[in-house]
Amino acid sequence: MRKHVKLWLVVAVVVALVAAGCSSDGSGSSRGASSTRTTTVSQLDGTINVSDAASLTEAFGKIGRDFTAANARATVTFNPGSSGTLALQIQQTNGAGIDTFASADEENMNKLVAARLIDGAPRIFAKNKLIIVTKPGNPKHVRTLADLAGLGTVSLCGPTVPCGTYAAQVLRAAGVTIPETKVTRGLDVKATLAAVTTGDADAAIVYVTDAATAGRTVGSVTIPDPQNAIATYPIATLRSSASRATSQAFIDYVMSSRGQATLRSFGFLAPS
Amino acid sequence: MSRRGRRTPWLAVLVALIGFAFIALPIIGLVQQVPWRRLWTDLETPEATAALRLSLICSLWATALSVLFGVPLAWVLARVSFPGRSVVRAIVLLPLVVPPVVGGVGLFYAFGLQGLVGQYLYRWFDIQLTYSTAAVIMAETFVAMPFLVITVEAALRSMDRRYEDAAATLGAGPLTVARRVTLPMILPGLIAGAALAWARALGEFGATITFAGNIQGRTQTTPLAVYLLLQSKPEVAVGLSVVLLAVCVAVLALLRERWLGAG
Repeated sequence: MRKHVKLWLVVAVVVALVAAGCSSDGSGSSRGASSTRTTTVSQLDGTINVSDAASLTEAFGKIGRDFTAANARATVTFNPGSSGTLALQIQQTNGAGIDTFASADEENMNKLVAARLIDGAPRIFAKNKLIIVTKPGNPKHVRTLADLAGLGTVSLCGPTVPCGTYAAQVLRAAGVTIPETKVTRGLDVKATLAAVTTGDADAAIVYVTDAATAGRTVGSVTIPDPQNAIATYPIATLRSSASRATSQAFIDYVMSSRGQATLRSFGFLAPS
Repeated sequence: MSRRGRRTPWLAVLVALIGFAFIALPIIGLVQQVPWRRLWTDLETPEATAALRLSLICSLWATALSVLFGVPLAWVLARVSFPGRSVVRAIVLLPLVVPPVVGGVGLFYAFGLQGLVGQYLYRWFDIQLTYSTAAVIMAETFVAMPFLVITVEAALRSMDRRYEDAAATLGAGPLTVARRVTLPMILPGLIAGAALAWARALGEFGATITFAGNIQGRTQTTPLAVYLLLQSKPEVAVGLSVVLLAVCVAVLALLRERWLGAG
């Protein structure tokens, strides 16, 4: 009899776990990879939640600290991810919980403008370029984009993630085709970079700023300007925001000389 | 039981209803999004067929490996008493509760190019597991095998061992006893465990993307494709999700006799 009770307990636990695995595993565990920071929804003016492109994570972290240091009553939290995913989240929830959107491309911002979810006109606050990163010391001797086609595994952003569309442009312009069976797709630029820094991929195409942040954990190979793509970063307040004034103040700070100096220190290019 | 105990506790029913709705609503939400008419066309896109084929192959391999290694493991845990058995069992069952992403990181440090075992595989045999289909199967086996072990061990413990003793008394060797007595008696448990392991393997995401990457046709299984396609082709993502959901429902239906029959 006691054995039976035990068996049933085991069975109940297993069913519960399997049900969890079936229904939630896909989106549940994936968020861990792109590290959602606190997403406090507050009606109080002074707290804003910024959905920012993954490539902005470090620079916006610094800008957020500086901004709150200058505005003691303001709180800024970030929700970094692929601009495509962030735009989709905003569209599906009509912007609930998010006050500010900073995208790594104009396409995703324009989607939200077309859906009338944006307050006013977006402002371009930074630009960025692409670069090839390799294992430290470049053991596979990558010199050009064409060399990527001969490697074992190359890490690129997903085809709809901005860094993925930029990388596709760059490769097309250079006439290089990497077989899809050698390409592992990151869900945002940080995941794409991690495949080289903490994974076994031979090389990745990421933003210059990511290579700078990764420092000595990667080797880098410059892509010549004529072949390179310029990433354009727009920022805007969402129409649904309950803290539009704070969001606008944050955007003004990003555009100010201090905000721009911070972006430059992380390797971003001037907006114009 | 007193009369008080038989009154319907409405508050508990209300809270239970909220709990039920919380689980049911996402499933309803998903199903009502499915473009039924073009479901087949959506599932025939190259990304979807590649992902489904890969998922099927890898999950079946993972289930087979789970049975191959899981049944002896369950037998040892159930029948052999040795010091540290509870520790071994705890380690075997750990993937049930560890976040799959963490499992993937662990697999990477064990079998990656610089990993404990992986460095020698690479140096001596020129084998790179990461970013290969084999890595997907390993990640899926890692998360799925505990389901098989826990179910088969429970079956072994709850079976009446007198049948084994009788067979042995009548002159059957240990292998004959295992094949002719033990295995048939635990077969329902084994099938249930294999079905659970298969469902878990099919849904694997975190360990796979961490350890095996996201390569179309090679390591991009259905859950990975769902997440990636959500941005570009949401209708295909929903179509693939509903296929996974249908499989989970089918597995639960298969196990209904055993576990859900009580209601």
